[in-house]
Amino acid sequence: MTGATTLHVRSISHKTAPTAIRERAHLTEARSVELMDALSAGAASEPACVSVIPVSTCNRTEIYLEVKEGADPDAILREALSAIGAEGELFFSEHALRLDGLEAIAHLYRLASGMESMMLGEPQITAQLKEAYRLARAHHEPGPGLLRAFQGAFRAGKRVRTETRISTGAVSVAFAAVELSRKFFDRLGKHRALLVGAGETGALAARHFLQHDIGHLTVVNRSFERAETLAATLRDEQSRQLVEADLNIEGESAAAARAMRGPDSRIIARPWDELGAAIAHADVVLSTTGATDPVILPAMVQAAVKDRHGLPLFMLDIAVPRDIHPDVAKIGNVFVFGLEDLDEIVQGNLAARRNQIPHAERLIGEELAEFGQWLEDIDMRPTVAEFRAYLEELKDKQVGFVRKKHSDEMADEVDRNLQQFIKKVLGRSMSTLRNSDSREERQRHLETLRHLFSTEDRDAD
Amino acid sequence: MTALMTVLTILLPILYLAVWADYLWLFYTEHPLARRTCSRAAGVVVVLHMGVMVLRGLALHRLPMGTQAEFMGALAVALLGTYLVVERRLRAKNTGFLTTGAAGLMMLSAAVVEPGGAKVSPLLSDPGFAGHAVLVLLAYTALSLSFLYAVLYLVLARQLMRRRFGLLFRRLPALETLERMSVVAVEMGVPLLFLALALGHLWMYDLADRPGLDPRLAQALTPWDPKILFSWVIFLGYTAGLVGHRFFGWRGRRMNIMAVAAFVTVVLGMGAVHHFFPTFHKFPGLDASAVTAPRGDGPAFAADHQLTGER
Repeated sequence: MTGATTLHVRSISHKTAPTAIRERAHLTEARSVELMDALSAGAASEPACVSVIPVSTCNRTEIYLEVKEGADPDAILREALSAIGAEGELFFSEHALRLDGLEAIAHLYRLASGMESMMLGEPQITAQLKEAYRLARAHHEPGPGLLRAFQGAFRAGKRVRTETRISTGAVSVAFAAVELSRKFFDRLGKHRALLVGAGETGALAARHFLQHDIGHLTVVNRSFERAETLAATLRDEQSRQLVEADLNIEGESAAAARAMRGPDSRIIARPWDELGAAIAHADVVLSTTGATDPVILPAMVQAAVKDRHGLPLFMLDIAVPRDIHPDVAKIGNVFVFGLEDLDEIVQGNLAARRNQIPHAERLIGEELAEFGQWLEDIDMRPTVAEFRAYLEELKDKQVGFVRKKHSDEMADEVDRNLQQFIKKVLGRSMSTLRNSDSREERQRHLETLRHLFSTEDRDAD
Repeated sequence: MTALMTVLTILLPILYLAVWADYLWLFYTEHPLARRTCSRAAGVVVVLHMGVMVLRGLALHRLPMGTQAEFMGALAVALLGTYLVVERRLRAKNTGFLTTGAAGLMMLSAAVVEPGGAKVSPLLSDPGFAGHAVLVLLAYTALSLSFLYAVLYLVLARQLMRRRFGLLFRRLPALETLERMSVVAVEMGVPLLFLALALGHLWMYDLADRPGLDPRLAQALTPWDPKILFSWVIFLGYTAGLVGHRFFGWRGRRMNIMAVAAFVTVVLGMGAVHHFFPTFHKFPGLDASAVTAPRGDGPAFAADHQLTGER
């Protein structure tokens, strides 16, 4: 494809394979390094594979390959995967997507832009691709094709995310809960949340609120021990995250810093019989108990809102069956939302993201065209460089002659004119080569150019 | 200078509309370029318009709020300037299309109504009165912004109550922010109104002492004038609202309904006072000779002429 090398991807993703298959295809970081080593070892004896970049996330495992032209990428990959003990056959089964050349690169560009993600536009994939790229560069410098392709993919991803709104708006229920609450309270840090129930769903939602700097979180559960355990877990997590984020440290130093900082005092637990009082102190109520009957009743909320002076109370019922009595929604300044509302927000945001696809595709097309041009030119680049060197050499001789015989000013003038001349000659030559009717014809032109201006011939002269 | 003024006078409505378009672009697309440019563009337009007004004032030797076109222009720049202060304090730009749209329409109206030559009040040459008129304009502009944000609060609260997650849900700032924008506007309007009233009182006593004042007007100059009394009521009402918000925790829907009701009362009350009560603000029998620095370029002040700045 590149004249000397060709580019390929073999991919197993959420679009092509169920979770069980994706789990089997997953490559850990150590396994990825082994694969790169195996292919690199192969390259030493049989120079077929130029470079490989494996990308493995929870939703996909993709292997990007750059091999010498004419080499069979599947045979090379199969051998390497077998050498490291991975289930190589999966990458050649009906669960795998196999793309070559520009199609493989287009897939990479779309992937970096979040267009191939399960949640359209999700940003995590960019970090995962960068990590894979960093790992590959740390072990074996990728070939020019993959290097250029990944750099182009990151550029395309950045453009798509900044020039379109493909990554805006919550597309998960937990994040939609935060987004919805922010329609009431912009500065969450000045407000208090109450989590009713200590289950997994509630904990997940609570973590999202804590990540968005909610000012205070109270956990209330029928079993006070469970509420206290969850509060302690969240306190510990937050404390760790805050220290690591503030000081950018990990390990023992972070543990020491955590000990100095103390637990995150924003998070507390209260017993079940204080639920009413806890509601009175909260601005955001998340209810996720497994109770079969409503646990938050109108009288309880009516009493709680009495002293709020009209400040809205945002209540989110994400329990099935519902925790909040339907009549609570009739109380003034109390806004009750359920799972179906969050789902509507998510669907609305996804639709808005989908509307951005044509714009994103246009941007990817522009970046891809640039890569395509680079790819087109790569086989003629060494010859053209040689031709340029020859012209530059002639120019320098001529300028030196003028400088010796005449003046520096005249030599500089000649230098400027010849620079322009070389630029035009090279531009015309590149254009003629690009517009060749066939690849064979272009190769013939290149051969002629090499023959006329090659270094060996000049040295012989 | 005249040519430059003419060019700027033609250019200003176009610039206002361009700023409006920028804010609209931001509202519909949230494009980063629109976000970066809208406030700066609005700021440039305000500065430019203020510059034009200063030049015009110097050329006419009076406050350039005498004709309908001038008054509309002054209202537009006051609205845009006040809005920019609120926007800067709250960092919320997505409501800008409403205020800049209103300002743009005012400028457009100013461009199509009669440009000048109408009877203008000689009082506009009096610095005391001019200061009073400017403060009144700014105060009521701020209060109108408070009204606008209170309405937006109620609209968004209604959308949330009805679970409508459309464009307004996605683009309008949080209820908390809208409420703060409304309160910030009142916090600006109340002291401005106080200053306007204080300056108005001082100027009134000064006017009463001037020789040759028409006896009808001299008799009418009183601090118990219905318009002044109603203005004090407005001032006290809004001040009470601010105290309630700050010290008694008045928040939410009730607070915003109060803000809407207050402004509606202001508009209706002022209209009623102006049309149904005797008020010296109609300035019967006033002519240029009664003004300290009688340099007005308009003809003699008509007995029943209404000061556009006081509407």
